[in-house]
Amino acid sequence: MKAEGSGKNEPVPAKHAEAKPAAAAAPAPKPAPPEPVLNRRHGKLLTETRYWPTEIWRNPWSLPRYRAGALWLAGIVLGIAAIGAGVGELAAWGEKLLALLGRSGLPPVAVAWVWVLVKLTCVIGVIVANGLWAVWWERKISAHIQSRMGPMYAGGFHGWAQTIFDTIKLLLKEDVTPAAADQVMHLLAPIVAIAPCVMAFAPVLFGDELAAARIDVGVLYVFAFASISVIGVVMAGWASGNKYSLLGGLRAAAQIVSYELPRGFSVVPVIMFAGSLDLAVIGQAQAGYWLGFFPRWFVFYPVVGQLAFLFFLIASVAETNRTPFDIPEAESELVAGFHTEFSGMKWSLFFLMEYGYVLLASFLLAVFFLGGGAAPLPHPAFIPAWLSIPSWIWMTSKAMLMMFVFLWFRWTFPRLRVDQLMDFNWKFLLPWSFANIGLAGVLIYLHLQGWGLR
Amino acid sequence: MGAAVIGYFKTVFRATWAFVEGLWITLCYLFKPSVTVQYPTEKLVPYDAFRGMLLFDASTCIACSLCAKACPSACIALESQVHPETKKRVPKAEWYTLDLGKCNFCGLCQEACPTKPKSVWHSLDYEYAFSNRDEMVRCWKPGFPLAGRVWDPKGKAFRDLESYIPVREVQGRR
Repeated sequence: MKAEGSGKNEPVPAKHAEAKPAAAAAPAPKPAPPEPVLNRRHGKLLTETRYWPTEIWRNPWSLPRYRAGALWLAGIVLGIAAIGAGVGELAAWGEKLLALLGRSGLPPVAVAWVWVLVKLTCVIGVIVANGLWAVWWERKISAHIQSRMGPMYAGGFHGWAQTIFDTIKLLLKEDVTPAAADQVMHLLAPIVAIAPCVMAFAPVLFGDELAAARIDVGVLYVFAFASISVIGVVMAGWASGNKYSLLGGLRAAAQIVSYELPRGFSVVPVIMFAGSLDLAVIGQAQAGYWLGFFPRWFVFYPVVGQLAFLFFLIASVAETNRTPFDIPEAESELVAGFHTEFSGMKWSLFFLMEYGYVLLASFLLAVFFLGGGAAPLPHPAFIPAWLSIPSWIWMTSKAMLMMFVFLWFRWTFPRLRVDQLMDFNWKFLLPWSFANIGLAGVLIYLHLQGWGLR
Repeated sequence: MGAAVIGYFKTVFRATWAFVEGLWITLCYLFKPSVTVQYPTEKLVPYDAFRGMLLFDASTCIACSLCAKACPSACIALESQVHPETKKRVPKAEWYTLDLGKCNFCGLCQEACPTKPKSVWHSLDYEYAFSNRDEMVRCWKPGFPLAGRVWDPKGKAFRDLESYIPVREVQGRR
């Protein structure tokens, strides 16, 4: 046998070939070495070495997929901005469509009805598309916060079609009504829960002047309708014939009704600053810049703005039954709370409602505190006006940022106990939101005395 | 009274700061690369000391049956060839079987193997799945692939493995 000069760890094929002549008496033909395995998707030989997380995290930019991801993100942001600049203001397109309808020879009443139907379709489309998008985004964000990847296969690009397939599955699922349930109430509960959600979107601004309806008391209208959904939730809990569901429904009632108060009171400073309940007026009141560059958003009003923003954000999270305020559907305590006994499309209507309210709260946060459709910086003079990013892109971006904050909260904070939840609301949020109204009055007084920034 | 007020604001500030710290930590993790391996399309190659699926090379085996003696779970069986003219045993394996249903992947057979390179050794392959118990018994005859073949009792013949997907060809044989 040949001397094995080289070290022990020499690769196999060479050694194998060397060993062959020694075994010359082998009666059998040479065994065929197995085919080298190729990665099924990329066709590369599978010899890539992957390290443990700490080593991956030491220098993430050395990973090709990390750089590719950053490029993708930048490309998506730029692409959205480019699409926005290309499309222009959506409100203008709406005006054109209305003018087209008016010229079509229909009687004015019919035109008004068709126009309302178009707007309604748009709003419902936004809510449904938001359900698809928010579920996918939530799964991605939660996965990446936990160093996972989330859905990756459905649809090809990062599992973008996952929620579409999930929806198809939910539509095809059996609709189970428990024997102990109140049949009619069980059927009505998701409808009662989702209908106010759609209605509450009527005055919500998706950009400057881009709303389904201009309502003078828009803020009041939104809050009034958004709080009706709790009836659907309580109905769901009661009609399920399940004590966990009942507990969840009652908790939801207690929580949502309680957090309505600080939510409403935290907006009062905004209403005081803007001097109107009309969402469009509130948005326009924040236009312009201090010192030529610093946006005059209500969130930047000293102390009052930040406190109101925080209170409204916290109360909104509680209103939408999301972690850390998700005691109505606390998985570890109540299985799934009020929607334990729901399946298929009824169940998904509850989730549509939840994500609809998250979207509503995000848009409200954007309008109340983040300047609505105003750009964070004044439009530079050297860029032509037609290249400017329209207000609906700014509005949606701000709303999406706020939605990210919702998801971020959800995957950071642990759930509050019931008594802590009530304690926090009644002993902290509510008094301080009252105090905040007083502070806003002081600020306005100072402003009227000429102390404020113009 | 003053101390109570200060304590109250201290508590509020501490709680808020704790929340901010928590948010900062999750934000940092959000932008770290994920550690998930997309398994069927992306496979890890184990470290060299990994004891994966046993492979056997009939061309280097000297049929000394040291591996069969070393095996604590008695999953190895073999028989040496008989020279057709002299009718004497020659140092070649006529057949060799490994019952992977019994194997506990201790690596003693590989340590006991006196040939160089090893005739029986652990590869880096971790993708072994069996669809029935017959597949657990890997059989080798001269000329069979390193991964062996499976005796099909119905067809009365050896057949190739169905579920065998090697991660890499073979591990460096020691």
